[in-house]
Amino acid sequence: MMIQLVTTAQSVDQAEALIKAGADRLYIGNSRFGLRQKGDWTIDAVREVTQLAHRHGKDVTVAVNNLMHNDHIEELSGYVQTLKAIGVDDVTAGDPGAIRLIRQAKIPYWYDAQTLVTSAKQIQFWGKREAIGAVVAREVTLEELALIQQQIGLPVEVQVYGPTCIHHSKRPLVTNYFNELGRPSEEAKQREFYMSEPADASSRYPIYEDENGTHIFSEDLTLMGQLPTLVKHGLHTWKLDGWHAGDQFVEIVKLFTFARANLLNGRFDRVEMEARLNDLQPEGFRLGTGLLLRKPEEIK
Amino acid sequence: MKRRPELLAPAGNLEKLKMAIHYGADAVYIGGQQFGLRSRAGNFSFDEMREGVAFAHGRGAKVYVAANMVTHEGDIEGAGDFFRTLRDIGIDAVIVSDPAMIETCLSEAEGLPVHLSTQASATNYETLRFWKEEGLERVVLAREVSMDEIVKMKQEVDVEIETFVHGAMCISYSGRCTLSNHMTLRDANRGGCAQSCRWKYGFFEEGELLTKDMEARDEEPFSMSSVDLSMVRHIPDFVEAGVDSLKVEGRMKSIHYVATVCNVYRQVIDAYCEDPENFVFDPAWEEEIWKAAQRELASGFYYGIPTEKEQLFGKPRSIPQFAFAARVIAYDPVTGMATLEQRNHFSIGEEVEFFGPGFVRFSQVIETIEDVDGQPIESANQAMMTIRVKVDQPVATDYIMRKRKGVPARTLI
Repeated sequence: MMIQLVTTAQSVDQAEALIKAGADRLYIGNSRFGLRQKGDWTIDAVREVTQLAHRHGKDVTVAVNNLMHNDHIEELSGYVQTLKAIGVDDVTAGDPGAIRLIRQAKIPYWYDAQTLVTSAKQIQFWGKREAIGAVVAREVTLEELALIQQQIGLPVEVQVYGPTCIHHSKRPLVTNYFNELGRPSEEAKQREFYMSEPADASSRYPIYEDENGTHIFSEDLTLMGQLPTLVKHGLHTWKLDGWHAGDQFVEIVKLFTFARANLLNGRFDRVEMEARLNDLQPEGFRLGTGLLLRKPEEIK
Repeated sequence: MKRRPELLAPAGNLEKLKMAIHYGADAVYIGGQQFGLRSRAGNFSFDEMREGVAFAHGRGAKVYVAANMVTHEGDIEGAGDFFRTLRDIGIDAVIVSDPAMIETCLSEAEGLPVHLSTQASATNYETLRFWKEEGLERVVLAREVSMDEIVKMKQEVDVEIETFVHGAMCISYSGRCTLSNHMTLRDANRGGCAQSCRWKYGFFEEGELLTKDMEARDEEPFSMSSVDLSMVRHIPDFVEAGVDSLKVEGRMKSIHYVATVCNVYRQVIDAYCEDPENFVFDPAWEEEIWKAAQRELASGFYYGIPTEKEQLFGKPRSIPQFAFAARVIAYDPVTGMATLEQRNHFSIGEEVEFFGPGFVRFSQVIETIEDVDGQPIESANQAMMTIRVKVDQPVATDYIMRKRKGVPARTLI
C-alpha cells in the first residue's frame, strides 16, 4: 500500500521543507491557469521546484484547473508544452477545452472540475479520456468517496487537511462591496477577508479576490481522525492545502507523515493525533469535517 | 432578412408551456420528475410531457427537458430509461451538465439530442469543440461569457450556441457554488439551492467586524445578490454573432412573466431580423419588460464585468409592480364582453391593462363585472372564479389582464 501525501507549496524553499516533511507530490500553479494557488510560480520557479522534487524522487503537479475563457485557451498550448518540457509530472484540469489541449501536449492530467466531480461514472468518463485520477468535490461524503474508489481503478484524491473553495464568482465581489461602501477599492485585492453567516456569528469563511474573481473558502477540513477509514477503503491519495497555515504548514505535513507511518505499523492514536493537529492549527480558523462525515441522505 | 435565433422560454407547467408558445416562444424547456435542478418548480409527468409535445409540435415549437443534476452515487439509476422515455415521447433535446448523464444519454437513448447545460460553465471555443466531438448538438454558454467571446466561438466552432438573454442569475459561475450545501445541507447542484448568496453576511478583516461597525453607522452588510439579466436592447448583437438560441430564465416564474417576456422578445427578434437596416429599438418594448421585472435589470457579463451597481444592496426595492389579474377565456365581439378567469383580486374602478400575442395591449378602467349568472358584482375576489367584464377593445382567448401593484423601478439595462 502506497499512501501519497499531496501538498500545496508556496515557494521553492517551502517545497524543500515539505519534501523533508514527507510530501510525495507538490501541488503548485499560477492564477492565470490555476485556481487559488499561492506563491509566485514563474516558469523558472516551476523548473527549479521540479528539478528539486525529482532529485528526491518526488512529483510535481501543476494546477491548470481554471475556468478557461478564449484568451486563456489561446495561451494554454504554449504553457502546457512548456510544463511538459520542464518535466512537470502532471497537471490538474477540469475545463474540457483545456483537457483537449493538455491531451494533445501529452501531459497526464487529474480530472479536477471542483464542485462538479461527484461520482465514479463521471471519473470513468474522464478516465476513458486519459485522466490518471480525480480530485473529488469536497461536498462528497466519506461514505460516497469509499463507494467511488471501490468502483474505479484510478486514484481518488481526498482532502485530509485545509480549506476548500465553496464559491467561485467571476465578479469582484469585495471590490464591488467596497465601492458600494465608498471605501478605497484597492484594498479589496490586497487582503483576505472573512464572512460570517447570518445564523452563526462565530462562523468564519475566508473570502478573497484575484484576477479570476472572488473565492470563498469553507472552514479548514481535517480527516485526521478518519485516516484509518480512508486506508480501509483504498483512499490513498491525501491532499493537504496550506492556504492559511503559513509557517505551521510544514509541521502539519510532518504530523500527517507521522500519522501515516503509525497507521502502517498499527500504532495510530486518533486522540493524540487530533490533539496535536489542534495545537498546530493557526488561531482563528475553525477545524472541522465539513460535509465529509455526513450521511449522504442528510444532504437534500 | 437575417436568420432568426430561436426564442427559448421556461415552462414550469403545461399551462405555462402553452402560454409561452402562444406568446411567441419557438421552444420551451421543462423539467421532468427526476434529474432536474428545480425540485420546487412544477415538474412534468410523462403524460404531461406528451400533451406538451403534441401542443408544441402542432405549432412548430420544440420542447427540451432539463436534466442537469450533478449526480452523486446512486442518483443516476434509471437515467437510461428516463432518457429513452423522453425520446419516445418526442422530446426534442435534453439539457444536461453531468458527463456521466451525457454519456448515459448518448449511449442509451440514441437519437435524443443533447445540449450542454449552463451548469457545466462552457466558457471557451475549445470546450465547444470538445462537446461537439462528443456528439452534442448544442452548448448553453456560461453566463460569464462576453459578446466578443461569443463572436470568436462562432468563428471557431460549428456547434449550436444557446445563451441567456433574460432572467435571474447565479452570482457565481453556475455549478461552482456550494454555499447552500455547507450552510443548509441543501445541494445546490441537485436542486436544493437555498440561494445563500442573497443572504446578508457579516464581513471581517483581521478580527474587526465590519458589519457591526456599519450597523452602527447604518451601513450595508455584505451580500452577493445579483440583479437580473435583460438583453432586450441588445438582440441585434446576438443575431449578428450568429447565436442559435436565446434563452429566458425562470421555470418558477408566473404565467404573466412568461407571456410578457416572450411577447417582447418575439417582437424585438422579428423586427430586427425582418429589416435589420431600418431597425429602431422601440422604448415600449423595454417599458413592457419592466412590468414583469422582479429585480433591477442589467446586461451581465456581455459588455464587461458587473460592478456593484449590478448587485442588490440596501433595502429591497419595491419591484413587482404588475400582477396577473385574469386570463381571458372567451370574448363576445357583439357585446364586447370578455369572460375571464380570475387570478388576482380586482374591483370596479381599477385601471387594468390587457395584452395579447403580437404585442397587442391597451389600458382601461373596469366599469362592470358580472358573475356567471350575469349578476353585477363589485369585485372579483375569489381565486379562479369566472367573471365577465366589458372591454374597450377586442380581446381573444389567452389574452392576459394585469393590474398595477406598485411603483416600477427603472434603472440600468
